[in-house]
Amino acid sequence: MKRSKRVEALDQRKVNLDGFIDEWPEKGFIAMSSPYDPEPSVRVENGVITELDGKKREEFDFIDQFIADYAIRVDRAEESMAVPSLEIARRIVDIHVSRDEILRLVSGITPAKMKEVINHLNVVELMMGMQKMRARRVPGNQAHITNLKDDPVQIAADAAEGALRGFSEEETTMGIARYAPFSAIALLIGSQVGRRGVLTQCSAEEATELELGIRGFTTYAETLSVYGTEKVFIDGDDTPYSKAFLNAAYASRGLKVRFTSGSGSEVLMGSTEKKSMLYLECRCLYMTKGAGSQGIQNGSVSCIGITASVPAGIREVIGENLVAALLGLECASSNDQSFSNSDMRRTARTMLQFMPGTDFIFSGYAAEPNYDNMFAGSNFDAEDFDDYNVIQRDMQVDGGLKPVTEADVIRVRRKAGQAVQAVFRYLNLAEVTDEQVEAVTYAHGSKDTLNRDVVADLMGIEEMMKKGVTGIDVVKALAETGFEDVADSILNMLKQRVIGDYMHTAAILDENFHVMSGVNTPNNYMGPGTGYRVDGKRWEEIKQIPHRIDRHRF
Amino acid sequence: MEINELLVRQITDAVIRELNQDRSAAPGGEDRIEKVDYSGYPRAKQGTDPKEVVIGVGAAFQTVIKNTITGIPLDDVIRNIIAGIEEEGMTARVVKNLKTSDVGFIGLEAAKLSGSGIGIGLQSKGTTVIHHKDLYPLSNLELFPQAPLMTLETYFNVGKNAAKYVKGEKVLPIACTNDPMVRAKYQVKAALMHIQETDQLSPELNMIEWTV
Repeated sequence: MKRSKRVEALDQRKVNLDGFIDEWPEKGFIAMSSPYDPEPSVRVENGVITELDGKKREEFDFIDQFIADYAIRVDRAEESMAVPSLEIARRIVDIHVSRDEILRLVSGITPAKMKEVINHLNVVELMMGMQKMRARRVPGNQAHITNLKDDPVQIAADAAEGALRGFSEEETTMGIARYAPFSAIALLIGSQVGRRGVLTQCSAEEATELELGIRGFTTYAETLSVYGTEKVFIDGDDTPYSKAFLNAAYASRGLKVRFTSGSGSEVLMGSTEKKSMLYLECRCLYMTKGAGSQGIQNGSVSCIGITASVPAGIREVIGENLVAALLGLECASSNDQSFSNSDMRRTARTMLQFMPGTDFIFSGYAAEPNYDNMFAGSNFDAEDFDDYNVIQRDMQVDGGLKPVTEADVIRVRRKAGQAVQAVFRYLNLAEVTDEQVEAVTYAHGSKDTLNRDVVADLMGIEEMMKKGVTGIDVVKALAETGFEDVADSILNMLKQRVIGDYMHTAAILDENFHVMSGVNTPNNYMGPGTGYRVDGKRWEEIKQIPHRIDRHRF
Repeated sequence: MEINELLVRQITDAVIRELNQDRSAAPGGEDRIEKVDYSGYPRAKQGTDPKEVVIGVGAAFQTVIKNTITGIPLDDVIRNIIAGIEEEGMTARVVKNLKTSDVGFIGLEAAKLSGSGIGIGLQSKGTTVIHHKDLYPLSNLELFPQAPLMTLETYFNVGKNAAKYVKGEKVLPIACTNDPMVRAKYQVKAALMHIQETDQLSPELNMIEWTV
């Protein structure tokens, strides 16, 4: 066939490098609704749910049982289930119905009913729902802070810059798992240099992550994964009960925790029971609620390549974010993983969370160039900072970030590098040279930094963990090496664990370590003239993008 | 206590249900490939040789799946890993894991069978881990999560590094690589290959000795 030049040009477009596949319900490649999904039903006898979504109690798998026993308000189940799904969907977008009323109504419905409700909403309605149902009044944002070399000095500098730019939470992970303790400490120090009160976490193997938290190297945890089918749980040597136990372990030490789920994981792991992605994700979110977690990171997350490959996949993503909010959970709404070669497509995907605002629009945003993002690339990265700030200004939307000056960037990066250098020297962990600090101060990514002695670092880490170094040792090291202000910040972060207020739903801290959560600053949106509006000081801040024409000098 | 007993019973029931299901071939999925019968193969033995590295491979390895996600022949992959191990003066043994297709568990199970306690997990799509018998399943000595970035040289070095861990040397981990667009390009293909691998599981056979 003679080729059309138009079609040839289209074939070259980057979007055509993305992976697409037709719906295939038998293997779970179906977003919103599968012909094999169960019909909603509930039956309550003597205060116990004896039938859930078409299954009798004796047929329950452990997920059904966990949901029936812990995630549904038994006293409201029959009343809520009697309200048609379409009616619930309409109330979600009705500005005259409050968030509290919706939370109450929805607390008695089953996962299959929830799936049905979401299927009645188009993407604009899903966004309207999110605008009302988000837990915290003011939206927030979270960063990924990682690099290809697992260089702790760069982690500290990027954390400081990220905090300066407005992120409320920062998350790190490693290429080499054994680097975790250095990554966690560097992130903790760097974040507080950039802006006091930023929460930090280190995504690692669960037992390691818990230990880092207990030692005070991190101030929250996020990587407690749940799955929508029993088989995937069993393959991971896990159950909903073990996750609830782990959640309680963090709570016992006063640490903020959220779970992680997201559609597509069951497809990727080959065990979907032929159910839709949305239905399986509903099960995950009910388990999260039942386990007592205050919140969730969801929105397909690391399996976005799967969900985005099928029709209505991106609608499903905002759909599952809304389910989290409907269950009263804090929602850190993904946007944290690259999935498209097309700038247009990746931006469109993010607008669904950006426009209505979620508790954390990204979970997280790569605050380094994507080649350094050790979560295999985020949907936005450090090179998109200015684009993002301009979009906030264009739309008058609070996306959680703000423009910064180059002088401030350099200042906080240097100070963070020096603070890590001082702590590592004081605790005799590993050598950080002045040249390394200098390189990291002006670096964009790890291509601009000096190599570290990895073997020496790993030995230093092993010794540090054996010696039982904790967050208090880091505070002491900072205080005794001239970084009293950073020491004071980290001590304040550790105090949060004794106070405990930041364990409330959707909590973040301001620069005075005051908690802002869904409890003391709840979202009160009920249509025009209500809820959070971008104005005052915050609006002035958003306006200050670089490269504006100065009419006085024109 | 009641809940615990109930839970234990339910887990047991679930596992048995799952085992039965897997034995009885096709639950759904029209495009199913014939399942390979591994019942005649020798069961994998517990190693005693302190110089050995056990390489655990996925259920579809060299049978249903012959090339990695980027088309590198699995024959060459395994040959290079073994060559790397042997270059360090250690010995290699290959077992096939028919119980799980999760790379972390494949690696850990291999490490537990290994006389040295060091094992390598290798999925048929090319994802690789170096594991130690005493580590948590989802921890590792070195992980290579992005199969599309693997080359024969990397596989050779994986073998070398695994052997160095056996020798108790201070090992410099292989430098990490990262393609931030890997998900867009490969995740659907990865899912399809993982489904193929998972479909080949025969949990009742656990692990078998595999001649490459």
